[in-house]
Amino acid sequence: MAQVHVGEGFTSSQRHEIDKSIRDAETMCRYEFSVFVGASEGETGPFAARLHSTLTAPDRSVLVLVDPAARIVQIVTGSEVRRDLDDAEVRLAALSMQIAFAAGDLVGGIKQGVMMLADHARKPRMLHAE
Amino acid sequence: MMGILGGVITDQKAPTVRRLTRAVALIPAILLCAMATPAIAAPPEGWPQAEPVSTLHALLILVAIPLGLFALITLLVHVPSMARHEEYTPGLAWHHQNEWFGGPSGGVEAADKPDPKAIEAVEEGHTGGASARW
Repeated sequence: MAQVHVGEGFTSSQRHEIDKSIRDAETMCRYEFSVFVGASEGETGPFAARLHSTLTAPDRSVLVLVDPAARIVQIVTGSEVRRDLDDAEVRLAALSMQIAFAAGDLVGGIKQGVMMLADHARKPRMLHAE
Repeated sequence: MMGILGGVITDQKAPTVRRLTRAVALIPAILLCAMATPAIAAPPEGWPQAEPVSTLHALLILVAIPLGLFALITLLVHVPSMARHEEYTPGLAWHHQNEWFGGPSGGVEAADKPDPKAIEAVEEGHTGGASARW
């Protein structure tokens, strides 16, 4: 049924799906996305912040951390991203991911969460150009 | 307050009182069931004779069909996730390697040498985010 690779959590097609959703998200809202799946070292919040700070352009980046062992999903948004993507919208995406993960759908939850973040982040600041 | 509770018999001095109360409480239930006795009667003679139902027929309708429906619905619920090669069940340990999709080429090792300016941004609260647990 499932192809379990020793040492690898995802099949190559699942990795491809996640990569594609990240690329689509970046195309949609011109911010950078990355998804970290694995155990966090120490507290999840600070660890996610550390990872986020090592990105090439943290201010324009969104980092999604999924810790399947500790069952925590943590999203960090850079200072520029926050202008278009506020914390309430991030919380919504985190909740939808939480629901998908609780149902056992890691890949689907990640794809859904990334797309939701991108969708919220791309709204133009001026809704009516007059 | 104690006056209201005084009406309730909490301290039975005699077990017979309790037994009597139980018997009295059962009488409406028995009467109700007794009202169903007409069902035991034979059908009116004007009605056409019904064929006796064979045991196999009854078994099929009452047991096989419900079991079949249970199995079918369970399958419909689980097949999509089986088709997606779900290997993750919440609660089981995740002992696979860490993966960072879209991450920098340094990987997780780069996280051990953080950029102090970026850490400052975090501490000053310039970054945002949210978290959830499942």
